[in-house]
Amino acid sequence: MAASNHSTSPVNPGHFVAGKGLRTLYSVAIFLGTVLFALGLYKDQARAWHGFLTSFMYWTDLALGGLFFVALQHVSKAGWSVNVRRIAESFTAFLPIAAVAAVVLLLGSKNLYVWLDPEVVKGDAILKGKEAYLNMTFFVIRMVVFFALWLFFSKKIVGNSLKQDADGDAKWTLKNVPLSVAFIIVFSLSYSLFSVDTLMSLQPHWFSTIWGVYNFAGLIQSFFAMLIIFVVYSMKKGWLRGLVSEDHLHDLGKFLKGFTVFMAYIGFSQFLLIWYANLPEETIFYLARSNGWWMTITFSLLILKFAVPFLLLLPRWAKRTPNHLVMVSVLILIMQYVDIHWMVYPNLDPYTPKFAWQEIGSFALLGGLFLWSVTNFLTKNKLVPVRDPRIEESIHHHVAY
Amino acid sequence: MAKSNTGGIAGIWLDDHECVVAAGKVREAGFKKFDAITPFPVHGMEEAIGIKRSFIPYVTFAFALIGLGAGTLLQVWTSSVSWPLNVGGKPFVSGPAFAPIMFEIMILFAALSSVVALFAICRLPKINPPVIDPDLTCHKFAIFISSEDSGYNAERCEQLLKSLGAVEVKRVAHY
Repeated sequence: MAASNHSTSPVNPGHFVAGKGLRTLYSVAIFLGTVLFALGLYKDQARAWHGFLTSFMYWTDLALGGLFFVALQHVSKAGWSVNVRRIAESFTAFLPIAAVAAVVLLLGSKNLYVWLDPEVVKGDAILKGKEAYLNMTFFVIRMVVFFALWLFFSKKIVGNSLKQDADGDAKWTLKNVPLSVAFIIVFSLSYSLFSVDTLMSLQPHWFSTIWGVYNFAGLIQSFFAMLIIFVVYSMKKGWLRGLVSEDHLHDLGKFLKGFTVFMAYIGFSQFLLIWYANLPEETIFYLARSNGWWMTITFSLLILKFAVPFLLLLPRWAKRTPNHLVMVSVLILIMQYVDIHWMVYPNLDPYTPKFAWQEIGSFALLGGLFLWSVTNFLTKNKLVPVRDPRIEESIHHHVAY
Repeated sequence: MAKSNTGGIAGIWLDDHECVVAAGKVREAGFKKFDAITPFPVHGMEEAIGIKRSFIPYVTFAFALIGLGAGTLLQVWTSSVSWPLNVGGKPFVSGPAFAPIMFEIMILFAALSSVVALFAICRLPKINPPVIDPDLTCHKFAIFISSEDSGYNAERCEQLLKSLGAVEVKRVAHY
């Protein structure tokens, strides 16, 4: 195995340095975001909290996407992805902040979820029936359990990878396999319930059994878009010279395209069954999203989150051209926000989508924190898991025709 | 029958890397109609031989679009022109209901056209092709230069392949 020579040919990635522009960007975002969010709370509590929930889901999804991708690489014992794995690991640095944000969200949950209002529940037979699950105590317990599990697995899986940087022992790679298997099982259950708790219960009468999968589809699609942006950024800075090539981008691009299709497939599956059955208790969700401008947003998801990125990612050259790939990734990241906004905001205003400084506030606040925590992680650690036993395979990764 | 009974010259190597290097040299010597026969995909072989990308993806894409159109027309015609049928109070032409069949017919056209295109450009099926060496499916690697190549000359090819380190050089019957 070529993997045994890593001691003779040490891998030297460049050091990730958060330049002045990047530091200014997240500092301004955090500062401005805090001010705008506080101002938004002062002016209109309900709107500020809806914005906070949207941004919270958006950035938490990206952090969880990083952990899921890393776990998937360990489970499949993938070699090609070793050189981009550390960047995916860095996304999990946001998870502790996401846990704090979840606590903040609990403070504002009265403004979001009608089932937290005892008066409403008393007069509503359906909500009364769901009370055993949809109540504040159990809601808090679930949130604590979910984040405790996610933080535990991210500390373990990412921690083992960092320990390997120090001692180069292959046992850390082996240890991560059962951990990753366990995480994927835990994640599939916990994330489904998490998305049901945070987003589906906004319309507590309505239900969709595919809801968790749809949220996961958006999570993984936006994660690959963000990963590509970070990888291309590091490549352009020259930190990954000789380690990550357009062959890696090609495979990341394939993943991005694949999960773009997956997102559309799940989204359409959810819609088709509800449209066909035409039961009032199920159609309320789509009716709320067909009023006024919401119809335009609904169609924009189909076109700009699926059709356009799909066609733009179809040719081979598209996945091997960094600038093109970044352009598509930015489009997908924008549309991921629109998607979550589309799930949350009809609850606040059934006729007009709202997006202004109130929404930008919480988005910039959590986005700034995401950027800060991720770049901080990458600055402190090596940009590539330099002593991973499969690193040679990744260095020589080659995509055939 | 009228063709010569040698279809070309084959050189055989026991090492995949040497075979890739030799393929590059054969290409540099000006040959175009030659191929490598290996028991497994060898990295770098496409570049060494100078194989360009296949045009099959474009065939697939074109037929996918044709299939998408065909699936749409089929359903629009059957459910609103030929025999309008009210299903659950939905419009005769309902996009969501048509989407799965549009998708399936698109995939069917794309997949079948890809297979047909592959068979056509590889001239498959080939009946009883000559066996250069039975071990080419196991541990040997060959480069085959077709006699149809413009620079073909049996002696020259034999010498070239030998000089590139072939352990064995064979004249191969016509396909």
